[in-house]
Amino acid sequence: MSPIRMMHLLPVEAYTSQEWFEREQELIFSKVWHYAGFAEDIVEPGQYISVQAGLNNIFIVMGRDRRLRAFHNICRHRGTQLLRAVGKSQKAITCPYHDWTYDLEGNLISVPEEDREFPDLDKSCLGLKPASVDRWRGMLWVHPDPNAGSIMEWFGEIEPELGPHQVDKLVEYPQVRTTTEIKANWKIVVENYIDVYHLSHLHSGTLHMYDHAKAKFGFVGPHYVFWEPLSQWYREDIEKNVMMPLLDEIPRNKIGAWVPMLFPGLGLAENESSWSIYYVMPLAPDSTRVETRTKVKNVSSWEFAMQSWRSGSFWTRNTSAKYEGDAKTDSLATGDFMAEDVYVCEQQQKSLQSPYFEIGATAVSGESPVKEHQQIVLAFIEGNQQAK
Amino acid sequence: MTTQTFHALRVLDAYNPIATAKTVVFDVPNILKDTFRWRAGQHITLRFELNGEEVRRSYTVSSSPVSGEKLCITVKRVLGGLVSNYINNNVRAGDEIEIMSPFGGFCLDPDGKKRRTHYFFGAGSGITPLFSMLQSVLLAEPYSYAYLLYGNTSENSIIFQQTLADLVEQYPERCVVRHVLSNRSVLTSFRPWRTGRIDTDAIWSFIEEHPPYAHDAQYYVCGPGNMNTSVKSALQDIDVPVTRIHSENFGGVVEMDNSFEGIAAKTTVILDGQSHEVHVARGQTLLQAMIAVDLNPPYSCQSGICGACRTKLMAGEVHMRARMALEDTEIEQGEILSCQSVAKTDKIAVVFD
Ligand code: FES
Ligand SMILES: [Fe+2]
Repeated sequence: MSPIRMMHLLPVEAYTSQEWFEREQELIFSKVWHYAGFAEDIVEPGQYISVQAGLNNIFIVMGRDRRLRAFHNICRHRGTQLLRAVGKSQKAITCPYHDWTYDLEGNLISVPEEDREFPDLDKSCLGLKPASVDRWRGMLWVHPDPNAGSIMEWFGEIEPELGPHQVDKLVEYPQVRTTTEIKANWKIVVENYIDVYHLSHLHSGTLHMYDHAKAKFGFVGPHYVFWEPLSQWYREDIEKNVMMPLLDEIPRNKIGAWVPMLFPGLGLAENESSWSIYYVMPLAPDSTRVETRTKVKNVSSWEFAMQSWRSGSFWTRNTSAKYEGDAKTDSLATGDFMAEDVYVCEQQQKSLQSPYFEIGATAVSGESPVKEHQQIVLAFIEGNQQAK
Repeated sequence: MTTQTFHALRVLDAYNPIATAKTVVFDVPNILKDTFRWRAGQHITLRFELNGEEVRRSYTVSSSPVSGEKLCITVKRVLGGLVSNYINNNVRAGDEIEIMSPFGGFCLDPDGKKRRTHYFFGAGSGITPLFSMLQSVLLAEPYSYAYLLYGNTSENSIIFQQTLADLVEQYPERCVVRHVLSNRSVLTSFRPWRTGRIDTDAIWSFIEEHPPYAHDAQYYVCGPGNMNTSVKSALQDIDVPVTRIHSENFGGVVEMDNSFEGIAAKTTVILDGQSHEVHVARGQTLLQAMIAVDLNPPYSCQSGICGACRTKLMAGEVHMRARMALEDTEIEQGEILSCQSVAKTDKIAVVFD
């Protein structure tokens, strides 16, 4: 019998089998605070969004008191999903199946033909099941458990390690919003995000404006933190070189990139001119959706145009693709670091099928986060991790 | 708290934050530190001998228990008010005043782990508990937010105006203070957020302009007259669950419900772990009946405001003439004010704990 094939600390099956996928959905993604969107996604009473948090579909709706409420998106009659992805309902939520209707507090307020069909129904026992919701760092978060407690028990310790960005004051740059389906397990995608070793190799021509040799990184609880300064040649004339208006709240001595990965799968990229999220959502053992959204300084498009014009020649001179070739057919010829990452993730997933696959060696420092992340996943699966 | 011991505390300082109010700062000796530990929002009862009679009044501690400040109260003159005017006219540093330890259930206990948005609606001297709460949130609940809507008649009746402005400057991301003035003077440069009263429209606009950041929102109301009722109903009209609204009528006119005189009743009182049989006469309050037989139950203001005399009804029914000191949820759990309760059934049992 051949030995169990491993990806460092996890068996290869953790990246390929349906069984592992389901266990993670149940034991990781259904047990922690889950990213649900930007705070700007719900700004007025009646507006709602729904989000899949592990096994739970949860919707968030704003009441007239401007407080958010979260409920499990399940009709208390026969369990039909109540609301679609996003929208606005006036005062009530009506199930499409039999028109059972709930108010924005989740109370069941009307049942068609109640007298005849449900003579003994106690509506007060059939309110929607509540979940928890909060807003943190400009984002909305949900937790399936209505008594999840404070979100700061989950993020309090990592907050001081994040960038000084005033996320609520930045505005979204909708044109650069992306959704990508990657044919790889979600952990491969996360491991790529936190792999420090690859930065100066795969991205030698795309992320070299940061000084990877000076990167500081590690874990705070289950969350990964990372910071690195700008490269000297870029920083020297940063006012001119930066592609978009510089964010004022970042002190010059700390200017650089904060690239944390909040467990499980919400990456942030907080840098000198923008703030982005990288939302990793597992779809199947070998398929993961990544959504990115970006916020920038709240100034006029004229200022953006000027800055881009000022820095234009610098970037033409200083960006290069990993390989020469046709950017249309070869990700490694695009000069786009995200395309480079997607490419290697999918290539790694492919190899997992091979009986000859094995991990040859692990970089002591640059790949240590990969192993540590696996350890955290294992702890959740084995039930040793206190989830919040 | 079943003892009603008064302690003589020395006045360290007494000054006028505005012309019509006086702040009195007390020196609490080390030996009494525990006795006088207070929660944000609680009151203390002061006892004076005025014109040969004993009078008691309760005032909210206006300093924050987490700021390291001394115990102090801020007393606004009430037109024709015996004690408030006495304090404003006479109390000075070096005086000794008889004071009972802090009490009251309208509290905000800061919790450093929690992440909440605290809304405060206050008017006139109703600001004192809210001021202590707001400061405590900013100091000891670092992940939480504090939004105050504060009503006054005119600029020179705003207590704590400067301190509040300083707090906003110190915590710009977490603290909002908006002033509403009913009389706006054209002679000053001070521009209130609105003129008028803290009415439904003002409350809704305030929440719309300052929606809760953290979604565990709590609402605290303290003002004179019917302000509490009207703020509460404005909040409930926009679906704020009643469990999130905390209020206290203080310093305002207490409406008495004298619709029921009370009947005679045999009462079992459990006080300090001892059981006593007390006869309550027709028209007599539980408190009066207990004092008449030399029991020593806790009480203070005797007007249903302070809550010091609260006890739990275990059997029978009572009618309460006033109940400001109790929240609805407490009443549902059987809490009553012995100074306001007359018997409705001929057998009653209460327990003090
Ligand atoms: S399942 Fe919703 S109304 Fe029937
Ligand atoms: Fe990468």
